[in-house]
Amino acid sequence: MNDVVLRAEDVHKSYDGLDVLRGVSIEVGRGEVKVIIGPSGSGKSTLLRCLALLEPVDSGSVHLDGDELSGLREKQLAVHRSEVGMVFQRFNLFQNMTALANVMCGLVEVRRLKKREARERALEFLERVGLQDKADNYPEELSGGQQQRVAIARALVMRPKAMLFDEPTSALDVELVREVLDVMEGLARDGMTMVVVSHELRFAHHVASSILMMDEGKVIEEAPPEKFFSSPSHERTRRFLALVE
Amino acid sequence: MLASFDTHIFWEALTSGPYWKGALLALELTLVSLTAACVIGFFLALGRSSHFRWVRSLVFFYNWIFRATPTLLQLLFIWNGLPQIWSTFASDWFKPFLAAFIALSLNEAAYMSEIIRAGLLSVDPGQELAGKALGMTRPRILRRVIVPQAIRIIIPPTGNEFITLLKLTSLAYVISLHELLTAAQVRGAADFHYAEAYSAAVVYYLVIVSVLMAIQAQLERRFTWSSAGRRRRAAVPLVAHDAR
Repeated sequence: MNDVVLRAEDVHKSYDGLDVLRGVSIEVGRGEVKVIIGPSGSGKSTLLRCLALLEPVDSGSVHLDGDELSGLREKQLAVHRSEVGMVFQRFNLFQNMTALANVMCGLVEVRRLKKREARERALEFLERVGLQDKADNYPEELSGGQQQRVAIARALVMRPKAMLFDEPTSALDVELVREVLDVMEGLARDGMTMVVVSHELRFAHHVASSILMMDEGKVIEEAPPEKFFSSPSHERTRRFLALVE
Repeated sequence: MLASFDTHIFWEALTSGPYWKGALLALELTLVSLTAACVIGFFLALGRSSHFRWVRSLVFFYNWIFRATPTLLQLLFIWNGLPQIWSTFASDWFKPFLAAFIALSLNEAAYMSEIIRAGLLSVDPGQELAGKALGMTRPRILRRVIVPQAIRIIIPPTGNEFITLLKLTSLAYVISLHELLTAAQVRGAADFHYAEAYSAAVVYYLVIVSVLMAIQAQLERRFTWSSAGRRRRAAVPLVAHDAR
């Protein structure tokens, strides 16, 4: 078994002539938690979308469990996207479905499970994020924190090989951040492979296997949390940390 | 005051066969044309955001033609002009109802495509992105996520279109379709009691539109996504807009 779950190699990506990613490589081993930080516009979200196979790369490659996926056509890509869980900053729960239906959706529409089986499994995962009693509520009736936990359950229920989080707490009120981070910490403890774009430095400190600093479309520094926070080698990192804290 | 308004004639007209049949015909024509227009309009709406330039141009051209010319002209063109340039239509099976159906569907599709497009655009792009991330294909995302959410936006203006179309069916009078207005016209001309004859037709139109408004309110509640919130919502007012 390959121990590297997710790997990107020398990824370039530009939009309308603007180079967003300028040769990014990242390797995420099984059970590792990588936290990516960096100023806005540094390419963090774009990198995550490339890893989630939501954006084709201009050059370079993305590998999942040893298979190169960056060259695949749209139809085959759809299947592989379900093997990577993605959690968005703005939750993006399906507004026309209850919490339960949101979690069932991937099982029914992509995995083609029977409704009953999907329902059971979805309820199990809602319970895991502590929201079994909200199963029949629509997103509009849930708090931001609850919505984000449903979104995590929706991604988890597909049993992904890795979970990607794009600033999962930055759209939340301060007192709702904790409940989402708790769920994420639980996942990390259970050995889930994760890539998290976040400025929750305390979370990064406790949970991350290593922290990556991105700036201007490149990873400029990667180090374990202890070293990253105590003695960052890059001047840009030092300045950024000073601002965030 | 109402010296010459004969209520007997009014009641007699109201309950007469030609009125019933005329009203039913108008309603049928409206329903089938609107349904066809929704289907055609949906694909026109998708075509508007196609990757292919020629598809976008085609949709633009279609909407331009059908919105820039009078509905009455289109109706006459289909009824009189089409059999002339295409002999298949110069035959007995080409009845006024069919001609009216074709003309009104094609015409209405141009308007519906804009309404449907606005509905599709109103759905947050994050919804499609989330579906994509789950591994759903685009047709599935459309069917399960985007279209249901767009429908909420589409319902009120479609109610308007229904009303417009119902009234447009009276144009089919000129191609000798025996719809409601024809019934009124014939009844009025019989003994010159026009006021009674027209008033009876007014009642039919009002009843049909009132029923529609009730159905629309139901539908709007059906497409409101909060469990508490299948609560009564203030219905979006039906505003009559253009006279085509």
